[in-house]
Amino acid sequence: MIGVSLSRWTMSYFAAALAAFLVAELLMICGYGYPVADLRAPETLVLVHLVSIGWLSLLMCGALFQFLPVLVNRPLASNSLPLPALICLIGGLGLLVAGFLQLGGQIDPSPSFLPFGGVLLGAGFALVLWNLVRTLLSAPERPLPTRFVSVGLLCLVPTVLLGIIFTLALGGATSWGPLLSLTGTGLPIHVIAGLGGWLTFTAMGVTYRLLAMFMLAPDVERMSSKASLHLGRAALAVAIGMGVATVLSGADLWPVLLVALALGVAALLLYGGDVVHLYRARKRRIIELNSRMAALGLASLAASVTLLVALVLLGRLGEHIGAVAFLVAFGWLSGLGLSQLYKIVAFLTWLECYGPVLGKAPTPRVQDLVVEGRAAKWFLLYFAAAWAGTAALLAGNSSIFRAAAGIMFVGTCGVVVQLVRTRRLADVSAEQMLPQGTERPRLLYSLSNPA
Amino acid sequence: MTTQLAELDVRPTLRAGGEPFQQIMEAVGALEPGQGLRLLATFKPVPLFSVLGSKGFEHEEREIGGGDWEVLFRPTGRAPGEESPTAAPASDGSKWPAPVRHLDNLDLDPPEPMVRILAATEEMKDGEVLSALVCREPLFLLPELAKRGHAWQGGFEPDGKAYKILVRIGGAADPALSAASGSRSA
Repeated sequence: MIGVSLSRWTMSYFAAALAAFLVAELLMICGYGYPVADLRAPETLVLVHLVSIGWLSLLMCGALFQFLPVLVNRPLASNSLPLPALICLIGGLGLLVAGFLQLGGQIDPSPSFLPFGGVLLGAGFALVLWNLVRTLLSAPERPLPTRFVSVGLLCLVPTVLLGIIFTLALGGATSWGPLLSLTGTGLPIHVIAGLGGWLTFTAMGVTYRLLAMFMLAPDVERMSSKASLHLGRAALAVAIGMGVATVLSGADLWPVLLVALALGVAALLLYGGDVVHLYRARKRRIIELNSRMAALGLASLAASVTLLVALVLLGRLGEHIGAVAFLVAFGWLSGLGLSQLYKIVAFLTWLECYGPVLGKAPTPRVQDLVVEGRAAKWFLLYFAAAWAGTAALLAGNSSIFRAAAGIMFVGTCGVVVQLVRTRRLADVSAEQMLPQGTERPRLLYSLSNPA
Repeated sequence: MTTQLAELDVRPTLRAGGEPFQQIMEAVGALEPGQGLRLLATFKPVPLFSVLGSKGFEHEEREIGGGDWEVLFRPTGRAPGEESPTAAPASDGSKWPAPVRHLDNLDLDPPEPMVRILAATEEMKDGEVLSALVCREPLFLLPELAKRGHAWQGGFEPDGKAYKILVRIGGAADPALSAASGSRSA
């Protein structure tokens, strides 16, 4: 049976991800972590991992459980494995955060929670990968977006392995030289593999397909898309493969990272050209809020790349790397994620609730589950605050940064309220809400009725 | 209508005093979707008519001289166990009856194509075929068609810009069509 059913636990991933995101924003408002604390301070590590694992990775995993099957036209290998994976990931993140607090001296340092957190996270991501890779391998053909996603999934492996090595070293579980040198100087590789490979490359693949789907643009496999894939893959191979080799040999990592940067920028420029082409070639003239807001996320990616290149050329990357990472995480990845969540939650909720009675009873349209005018202001507030936060970091003004974080929090809360309202069918008119044969979807999981 | 027929001659087995039933059922099991069977026997194999009828085959028998019989079993294109052979619907899985409804959903915003197709299927009778053009493979529609017991087949048009899906109402319950259900001819 070919076709795609609802992923059961995707909503649980989304809910956990949004909770982690809100907690991270609250911490930033309180001045916890960078820029008040140092970039490598334990407080910053807590914040960074709440965002990168708790928010962005859970969001991406939840989305992939639903959309990788769409990309490859094959059912998800297992619809039940995502739950134990989610439990491992949340538990692992909790232990990791506790371990960082131990490093900061906030809680009793012995025994260190870090190795346990690292291993549990490794188990969680291994379950996710096992499920997604088996789904990928079952596909007879791999369209271009899928190949981007494959590279992204592949990059998750070194990200997690390096993370586990760091937890073992920092937790005092190993004193083996090579692992200690990786921990000492391998941090940029961990960040590039995670933010650049796993999160950005996967997001690129997903946007190729989602933007085309939502805007009725043709799925094109242009030369530029293929070139972007190859260049991006080369950039990641250099940064990760050669990067690790360089660290282990004790040589300077910087030249390797510069080569990877040049390749990566070329890949992103080509990707940018493709995205502009998708928006221009769309058949749907008036696009929905998610596609309009995705454009702001994509603009943030362009701004991140520009800023990164400018800082490298000015020789000032070291002092402003935090601002670049912030713009990548909050403008590009979070902005894109929030905008797509807005559509994905509405569509999946509509399909779950009304799919069984379509054609049998009058049903609302997907767009009847949302009120775009009301949501737009929260998105705009969020993006404006994320950009202001980046500017504040560049200017070194932590008070303005904390205010910006506050506005981001308000914007995020606004979007979350809209998502919950969508899930609860709160904006559907009473007479259309629950036709005979339907039931209100659960907030945190989906009931799919397999054929 | 011509149906491709496999041939099985059980006369040697019968003349040797053997029991050809298993041989016949194996031959039937090996038939391609939509394929029929030409059986040669030394008597009129009446019991087989109901056995194969329950498997979705209609029969046509004639004496060919010397007491031998030729029986043509053709897939009926109906659900197994259905009795009335009044109509003779297309039995070849790849050759469904001409669609009675056409939908051009190419310019509709998703998921409107899915909504229209499902609405149309609710208004159609069993055995009728719907044809619809959509701009991409309707992945979320397919499980819903399966749940409602319809068969479908589809593929991209030669220009690669439109996906044509044919839905046969109630067709998923039909063994002669089940092989076509879920097939892709991209």
